[in-house]
Order: sequence, then C-alpha cells, then structure tokens
Amino acid sequence: MSGKVLVVKDLSVAYGKVEAVSKISLEVGEGKIVTVIGPNGAGKTTTLSAIMGLLPSTGQVAFDGSIEQVPEVERMVVRGMNLVPEKRELFGTMTIEDNLLLGAFQRNRHGHRDHLQTMEEVYALFPRLKERRLQQAGTMSGGERQMLAVGRALMAKPKLLMLDEPSLGLAPLIVREIFRIISELRRRGVSILLVEQNARAALQVADYAYVLENGAVKMQGEAEMLRNDPRVIESYLGLASKHQEMLAT
Amino acid sequence: MEALHIIGEEHQSLAAILHAIRFMLKEIAAGKLEADLKLFQAMVHYLDAYAEKRHHPKEDLLFRRLPQRAAEGAEALAKLGLQHAAAPQRMAALELGLANYVADNSRFDDFARAFDAYAEFYREHMMLEEDVVLPLLRSHLTADDWTELDAAFRAEMSAKSGKDGKEEDFSALFSRLVDCAPAPIGFGPRPFAN
Repeated sequence: MSGKVLVVKDLSVAYGKVEAVSKISLEVGEGKIVTVIGPNGAGKTTTLSAIMGLLPSTGQVAFDGSIEQVPEVERMVVRGMNLVPEKRELFGTMTIEDNLLLGAFQRNRHGHRDHLQTMEEVYALFPRLKERRLQQAGTMSGGERQMLAVGRALMAKPKLLMLDEPSLGLAPLIVREIFRIISELRRRGVSILLVEQNARAALQVADYAYVLENGAVKMQGEAEMLRNDPRVIESYLGLASKHQEMLAT
Repeated sequence: MEALHIIGEEHQSLAAILHAIRFMLKEIAAGKLEADLKLFQAMVHYLDAYAEKRHHPKEDLLFRRLPQRAAEGAEALAKLGLQHAAAPQRMAALELGLANYVADNSRFDDFARAFDAYAEFYREHMMLEEDVVLPLLRSHLTADDWTELDAAFRAEMSAKSGKDGKEEDFSALFSRLVDCAPAPIGFGPRPFAN
C-alpha cells in the first residue's frame, strides 16, 4: 500500500435488501486527485459515505496504512479523513469563523493547538472568507458556502479530502474557480477523492478516474485516457451539448 | 494529448465567461442588477486577449495536423480557419457595442445584440470543433504528433504573451472576474477595479 492514502476493497452497501454499491475497489494515491464519476443514482455518494463510516458496509477500507474493518466517522476524522458533503451542512446562524473553528474541533480535542495558523492558511486560500468572517454563514451565496465547506474541512488538516459533488448547483464561472482551488490543494499535497456528476470538469482536474454505474465500477483508468475514450465521451462528457447548455438563454 | 486537455480547459473557461455575461445582461434588462461597466470591459478583454489571441492560435497548430493524416474534416477545417481569421471583425463588433453602451447607457441594446451575436457564433464554433474536428484528431493523429503538439502547447502556455504582447496572467484575471461577478454566477457583486 506504499504511496496510497486510501485502498478500498470489495466495498458493498445495502439499503435493506437493495444493494446500492456492490464490491467496489478503488485507491487514492498520495497527493493525487481521484474522481468517481457516473450518473445520478450510481452509488457515488453512498460510496463516500461508507468509506467515511456514515453508512454500514462490508469489505475493507485501508486508510493511511491501517485497515478499518468497520469505519467509524469520528475515528476517521481524527485519523485525517474529511468529507465535504453535497449539501455543505453549514451552521447558518453561526459566523463563518465559528463554522471554520468547528472544523478544527476534533483536532483541538486531541491536543493540537494550531487552529489559528490553519485558519490563516484557509483565509489565504479563500480571502473572501476572511473578509466576511464575522457574518453569518446563512447570508452567503452558494459559491461562498462551497468555499466555506471546503475551508471547514481543511481546518482538520486532512490527509484525504473527500468532496461530494462540489459543483452541484453552482454557475459555470464558480465551478471553474472551485476546480482551480481543488488543483491548488493537490499542489499543496492534499490527496483528494472527488465525486462528481460534472464528468467534464472532474476529468479535467483528476489524475485517475473510476466510472460508477448501478453501484459497480464499469471503467477505470488515468483521467487522460478516460477523457479521450469514445465511450466516456458519448456517455458522460456531453461535448458540445454542454456548451450549448451553458450558452443557452 | 495534453494539447486536447488544454483546449478543453479553455473551452470551459470561455463558455463560463459567456454564460456570465449573458446572465448579467438579462438581470440588467430585468432591472435586477446595476451594470458594472468595468466588469463587462474586463470580460470582453478576456474574450479578446485570451480566446481570440491565445486560444485560437493554439487550435490552428492542432488543426493543421489533420489534413496531414486524414482527408476527413476538410470542410469543417476550412470553416474554422475562416472563423479564426475573422476574429478582428468579430471582436470589433462586440467592442463597439460595449463602447456605445459605456458612452450612453440608453444604448444597452447595442451591447446586448452584439453580445448575442458573438455568443451564438461561439456556441456553434465550439460545437463544430468538439463534435467534428476533435474526434477526428483523436482518431488520426499519431503518438509523435501528440508529443510535438503537447510541447508546442506547453511553450505557448509559458509565453504568457497577452494583448499587444504584454505579459498577462489570465488565471489571475479569471479569478478576479469570478470575485466581482454578482451571485449566483460569481462571488460578488463587487466593483471591478482596473
């Protein structure tokens, strides 16, 4: 497992009798962006939730060199795994700064006292959050909320950052900026597992990709290879239709 | 195929800028947004200095290889060649529309019409490239072609030559545009300062 932050083997998740995810195996290398793309309902969010310990699962999750037979969310956070959920899940009546501080809660509880320095690093990455730090999170726009959600996750100094649909509901201009920041995080050494329906944007930024359909991995490979694979292009990239949609009145 | 990756990145950025201008024009027309003329000028500058002067020359490098490897796509390439060559006229029409609006805000429609024509052109232009020409390039160019093209693209990307040969950091400019554009399309509104 050398060089791998995350190694998932034969992960399965069932909702009652319905198997939502079936024997998925995937890996995330250190300092890499790995993306999981696929249509709505393919099992992408379920996969992230199971890895994080938010859902019961079978199979094996090895994180940072240690195997977790039964991932538990608090333990995973303490060990350096962090999830930015699709719905951001911020505290709207709390200030931006307090939301950020909450991200450092577990780390602080375990004796680390570097949260102020980490917050400055987050502010350097997202100057807008610093400008608005005393405002309530509920007053922020969608793009700003996404920034705050990522910033809050970074407060835990994660070894692995998992992003669930970071582009969801955001305008193309902001999506480009969010993905630029994701690239910047990789440059800073953060390993990233990125779940996205916007395959076009995800494959542009990722190093490696998995295509998930009906709860199973249908394809995988270097992102560059998948970007140029006719099956992926036809099914997921939408090509010109994407621009058509973006430029439509 | 780094060259294709770069083209894909640039198409997404350009489409995002066009989407943003269209959104703002609609909001202004509906009386929901006050125009930031400097932001419009900066976005139009981005289209000129980046799309027309940096992006299209790279595409020309790429497209030139296809006739050397395949007979297909000749009609599309000829059309794209003419479209790239017509950049000065296309930009002049857009810039004139904006200049009229900046000089006299009752001439909003001049800019809106000029922009609609420009955006519609771009939509069809990118569709032709992505539906017809890029798939042919993927199919017919050799590994050696891609090695050479990737190197040429990398050299161009590091040149950073902007409008009138001045150095310009387009990535930083893009971030400023996002920062100033009004929510929900950007993180603003905040006045765009030169």
